Amino acid sequence: MKLPLSWLQEFVDLHLPLDELLEAMSLSGLEVEDVTTPGGGAAGIRTARVLAWEPHPDADKLRVVRVTGDGGDGELELVCGASNFDVDDVVAHALPGGYVPGVTGPDGRPGLTLEARTIRGVVSHGMLASAKELQLGDDHSGILTLAPETALGVPLEELLPLGEPVIEIAVQADRGDHLSVLGVARDLAAILDTPWRVPEVPSLPEPESLPLSVRTDGCAAFLTWSLEDVEVTTSPLWLRQRLAQCGVRAIDVVVDVTNLVMLELGQPLHAFDLDELRGPALTVREASDGETLTTLDDRTRELVPGDLVIDDADRSVSLAGVMGGAETEVSADTTRVLLEAAVWEPTRIRDTSRRLGLVSEASQRFERGVDPHGAQRALARAAQLLRDLTGARSTGGDEVRVDPPVGWAERPTVELDTGRVSATLGLELPVERQRQLLERAGATVVAGDGEAGDAGGAGDEGDVGVSGRAGDPGDAGDAGGPGDLVAGSATLLVTPPSWRRDLLRPADVTEEIARLHGYERIPATLPALPVTGGLTPVQRLEREARELALAAGFHEAVTRPFVGEDALLGVAPSEGRVLLANPLAKDASAMRPTLVEGLLQALRRNHGQGRPGTALVELGRCFRPVDDELAAVLDGVVVDEWRWRSPAGEDLPIQPRVLALAAQGLRLGDGWLDLDERWSVPDLLDVVDRVAATLAPPDDATWRLERMPVERDGFHPGRTVALLFHGHEVGLAGQLHPTEADRRDLPEPVVVAELLLEPFLAAVPEGGYAPISARPIVRHPALSVDVALVAADDVPYATLERAVRAGAGQLLDEAWWFDEYRGEQVGGGRRSLAIRLRLQAPDRQLTDEDAERVIEAVAREAEEVGATLRR
Amino acid sequence: MTDLDALQRDALAAVAAAEDLDDLERVRVTFTGKRSELAAAQKGMGSLDADERRRRGQALNAFRQAFTSAFDERHEQLSDAALRARLEAERLDLTLPPRRVPPGRPHLLTQVEHEILDVFIGMGYRVAEGPEAESGTYNFDMLNIEPNHPARQEMDTIYVDGFDDVVLRTHTSPVQARVMTAEEPPIAVVCPGRTYRADAVDATHSPVFSQVEGLVIAEDVTMADLRGTLLAFARSLFGADRQIRLRPSFFPFTEPSAEVDVSFEGSAGNHGWLEILGAGMVDPNVLAACGVDGDRFRGFAFGIGIERVAMLRHGVHDIRELFDADARFLARF
Repeated sequence: MKLPLSWLQEFVDLHLPLDELLEAMSLSGLEVEDVTTPGGGAAGIRTARVLAWEPHPDADKLRVVRVTGDGGDGELELVCGASNFDVDDVVAHALPGGYVPGVTGPDGRPGLTLEARTIRGVVSHGMLASAKELQLGDDHSGILTLAPETALGVPLEELLPLGEPVIEIAVQADRGDHLSVLGVARDLAAILDTPWRVPEVPSLPEPESLPLSVRTDGCAAFLTWSLEDVEVTTSPLWLRQRLAQCGVRAIDVVVDVTNLVMLELGQPLHAFDLDELRGPALTVREASDGETLTTLDDRTRELVPGDLVIDDADRSVSLAGVMGGAETEVSADTTRVLLEAAVWEPTRIRDTSRRLGLVSEASQRFERGVDPHGAQRALARAAQLLRDLTGARSTGGDEVRVDPPVGWAERPTVELDTGRVSATLGLELPVERQRQLLERAGATVVAGDGEAGDAGGAGDEGDVGVSGRAGDPGDAGDAGGPGDLVAGSATLLVTPPSWRRDLLRPADVTEEIARLHGYERIPATLPALPVTGGLTPVQRLEREARELALAAGFHEAVTRPFVGEDALLGVAPSEGRVLLANPLAKDASAMRPTLVEGLLQALRRNHGQGRPGTALVELGRCFRPVDDELAAVLDGVVVDEWRWRSPAGEDLPIQPRVLALAAQGLRLGDGWLDLDERWSVPDLLDVVDRVAATLAPPDDATWRLERMPVERDGFHPGRTVALLFHGHEVGLAGQLHPTEADRRDLPEPVVVAELLLEPFLAAVPEGGYAPISARPIVRHPALSVDVALVAADDVPYATLERAVRAGAGQLLDEAWWFDEYRGEQVGGGRRSLAIRLRLQAPDRQLTDEDAERVIEAVAREAEEVGATLRR
Repeated sequence: MTDLDALQRDALAAVAAAEDLDDLERVRVTFTGKRSELAAAQKGMGSLDADERRRRGQALNAFRQAFTSAFDERHEQLSDAALRARLEAERLDLTLPPRRVPPGRPHLLTQVEHEILDVFIGMGYRVAEGPEAESGTYNFDMLNIEPNHPARQEMDTIYVDGFDDVVLRTHTSPVQARVMTAEEPPIAVVCPGRTYRADAVDATHSPVFSQVEGLVIAEDVTMADLRGTLLAFARSLFGADRQIRLRPSFFPFTEPSAEVDVSFEGSAGNHGWLEILGAGMVDPNVLAACGVDGDRFRGFAFGIGIERVAMLRHGVHDIRELFDADARFLARF
C-alpha cells in the first residue's frame, strides 16, 4: 500500500521528522518497504503559455512551438513531439539547465538535465513535459496541460506537490484496515497517541426506493446512491496525481473517484451506468453452478455456488466484491450513475478471487475485511466528489442492512484478564495502562465482573484504573515500579472498533497492548527451563558419519532434491517416484529417489569449471512412494517403526536418511609427473564401510555389509557392488558405465556410492550403545602367518575372511589381505588371495606348532566355503 | 722370517689409505686374516726356541696392537664419514607441501546449522526432526493456518501428487506440532531441516532452503524470556556487542508475533538493523490443536533461516552458490 505523506496528514497530525516517523511505523507493525519521492528533484520547469505553433519544416510528427519565456515575459522557441495542445494552453516548460525526473538520462536511470539542442535544424530551448516525465502518472500520450488561469513563469514544484514522500508499507494478512490512507492514519494516531479525523460527508439522500434485495449471508450491508447530470471527463490534475502516487491508473472522473475513495477510506465502490441497469433493481445472490458473467476486462467468467453476484431486473451485472460486469460499465456517454458500496464476506471473496485467478484492488480489500460501518461514508464521499468535480446531482439512496447482523461482520467483546497479559509479556502493565492503550486503538473498554481481579474498583466501569488518565501515557507507561505492580489484574471487556477484524481473542488483544506499549519495552530474560538438552546418540552418530566422509577428502554438498525423468538410480533402484503436483520445472518434476543424480550433476558442473577432480558427499533424505520396493528393504532391516504418518494414520512417502558419495577425476597429483591417482570405487567403499562400522553396534559381527557384484543400468558391469545387510540391499557402490559417463560429458572414471543410514540409526537404543570395553593388551610378541586361499570370483572376500577368522579362533588379533593373484596356476574365473594373520595369546609365546594348527584349521574352514588353501 | 717392521709399515699405510669401510675390512683380512703374513708368522713360532719365541711374540703383539689401534681409529673416521654421507644423501625438502588428499569441509549450511543448534543445546534444548514430505495437517492445520487463510497461499506450497494433502513442508514448524502432540510439557526443542517453497531459482530465492525453528512450552514462559533467548542467540552467532529489536508482525501460529532484527556496525561506520528471524508467543489455537493445556502452559517459538544467517555472516550474495556444490565454494568454509 502506497501512502502519500501529505494525504496521511489530512487525517492525522504528524509533527515528527520523516525518518522518525518511519522508525515509529516499523517498530509498531507498519512495515515500511520503500519511500519514494515521485517528481523529486524537478527544477527549472516553469509554467508557460503557448503563443504559437507550426509544423516542423523538416519532420512530420514534430511541432515548432513558441511559448512565453522565463518569468512570463518574452518568448522562447522549442521543438515538441506532442499534438494534444493548442495556442493559449498553459504547459510545463522545462528550460535548458532544468532537471526532468521522469526522463531517462544518459546513464539509463530516470532523471535528465536538459541542454538547448538543435533538432533537425531548429534550436529547441528545452521541452514541454508530459505527466509521466514529471512522474505524475503514466500518461505519456501528450504533454501536461494546466488550468488556463494558472499564473505564468511559476516554478512547477510550487504548483504541484512534486517530490512529496510516498511511503510504501507491506500489509499484514490480518490488517485489512491498513489498506487505506484513513486506516493507516488511524493506526498512526494510536501509535503516536494523537487524534485523528475523517472528512465531513453528507448523509444518505432521500430513498428513491430502488428495489434492493440481499439473498445471501455473504453480504452484511448493501447501499446505493444515484447521481444524474454526470459528465464523464478526465479527472483534474490533483486527482490524477493522487492516483499516480498510489500506483493506480487514471481512467475517467467516475472511475477515478471510486478508486480515490477506496484508497482513502478503504471501502471499494462500484459505479454502474444507471441507464444500462434494467429495472432498475438490484439483487444480491449466490451464483448457480456453471453460470457465466463477462467482467469489465471483457473476459467471460464461469461461476460456481459460493460466488456472489449482483443481478439487475433480468441478468447478472457484477461479480460481487471482485469485478463489475462489462455491460453496465460507465462510458463516456454515461450521464446517470449508480454508486454501490457493500460489505462482503472475506472468505467468499478470497475463494472466488483465487479460483478465477482474478485479483483486484477491491478483492484484496474485501478478502482482508473492510469496516462494516464504513460503506455509507465512502458512498457519500464519492457522491460529494462527483458533485464537486462534475456538477452531478444526487437523486436518491437506498440501503439494505442485513438484520440480524451476520456473524462474520460482528466484533465480539473479548474478556481480558489483564494479569494474564502482564504474565504473558513478562512485563507488569497496570490495568489503567492497558485500558488506555486499547482505547487508543479505538476499542471500547469496560470493567468486567472482576472474577480475575484483585484490583480495586473492579466491577465499576469508572474505577478500574488505579493511576493515570487518558492522554497521560508517560506516567502509566513506565512499568516496573513497585507501585505499578500493585495494579495487579482485573477483567476488562474489550470491544474492538468496527475496522479491526484481528482482535478476536485475549491473545490478539495482548498483542495489541504490547504493540502500542512498545515491544522495545519488553525486557530480556532467560527462562528457567525445567528440562535437559543435548544431542541424542543417533544425532551424534550422524555427525560422526559426516566427519568420516570429510576426513577421506569428500566435500559436503547440499543439492536441490528435485529430479526429472532420467535420473540415475542408486541404492535399491525402483521406478517409483514421488511426483510433485505443481513442479517448478520439467527437470524438477519429482523428489529424488536417490541422492546420486544430484551429486553427478554437481560433478559435471565442477568438471565444466575445469577442475581435474572432485569428490562430494551429501547427507539427506531420498523419497519413494508409500508402496515402493524400498519399503520391503526397510521392513527387512529396521526393527522399529520407520514410516512417517499423518495424524489420521495415513502413510507419508518413504523418506529415509541416506549418505551418498560421488567422485570423478584425479584424487591426487594434478600435474605431478610421477603421480596419477584417480578416485576409484574402493575409495568410496572405504568410507561406506567406516560409516557402517561406526554406526553399527560395537563388536557385533552380524552388522557387516556384504558385497555382491551386480549389474545395473548406467553402471560398469565389472565394477559395481550391492551392499547387503541381512540379505537386503542397503547400499550400492560402483563406477559409471563408459557410455553413461560419456552421456554426462564426464571423463572416466566416475564413481558413486550410496548407503541407507536409516537401518543403522534406527537400531541405536535411546540411550546409545553400551560403552565399548577395553581389550587387554597382550604382552607376548605377536606371530604373523600368511595363508593363500584360492576361490572362484563369486566367493566374496568377506566369506574368505570369515573362514580365516573361524580357523584362527581366539588367537587372531587382525587379518588382512595383501596380495591378489590371477593366472594359470589358479585357473580361469578364480583368484588366489594372500591373507596375513596376526596371532597372539595372552598367556604365552606362540610357536610354529600354533601356526601349523591355525593353517590347518583355516584350510578346513576354507573348504567349507568352496575355497582351497594354496600350499 | 717375515720382516715385522716392514709389514707394520705396509699395514699401517694400507689402513691409512683405506677409502671406505669395505676397503678397510679388506686391509684387515689382508694383514691379519687366516691367510695373511701375520698368520704365517704365527705358525712359524713353534719352531723357535723359548727366548726367540718370547721376543717374536712380543714383536707380534706390538704389531697387533699398532694395527688394531690404527684400524679402530680409521674405522671410526670412515664410519663417521659414511654416516655423514648418508645423512647428506637423505636430505628432504620439507618446505614442500605434502602430497596428500586434503580433508573435505562440511557445507556452510551444515556449519551454521550446527552452530545454531549448539547454542540452543547449551541453553537446554533438544533437537527434533521430522519428514520433509509432510501431512498438510501438521504443516498447516495444527499451526492455525486454515485452508483459505491468505498465509497458506502466500507460502507458495509445493504439493505432492497422488495425496489429498501432503506437501513439501513450508517450514519446520510441523516438527513442533509432532513434538507437542507426542510429548508432555515442559518442552524445549529446536527443529532443523530442509524446507520448500514454490519459488523459482534466482539470486535471492530458492525452492529449497533450511530452517532451525525453536519451541518452548512451559508453565511460566514469557515474551521477555523469548526476547532474552533470542538476544543470547544473536550475540552468540554475531558477536557479544549485538543488540536485537522486536517489531510487531503477523504469523498465524504466534500471537503476539514479532520480526526480529539484529544490529550491525558496518566497516564504513554505517550501522543499522538486519532482519534475521520471526518469533512470537505460541498461538492458543496451536496449543489447543496440539493437545497442550493452554490454561496451564504458555509457549514461545521462533524460526531462523539458515541461508539468511549464512549469507549475512559470510558475505554470500547469491543463494544459488549454496546449492551449486562448486568445490571452490565448498572448500572455502
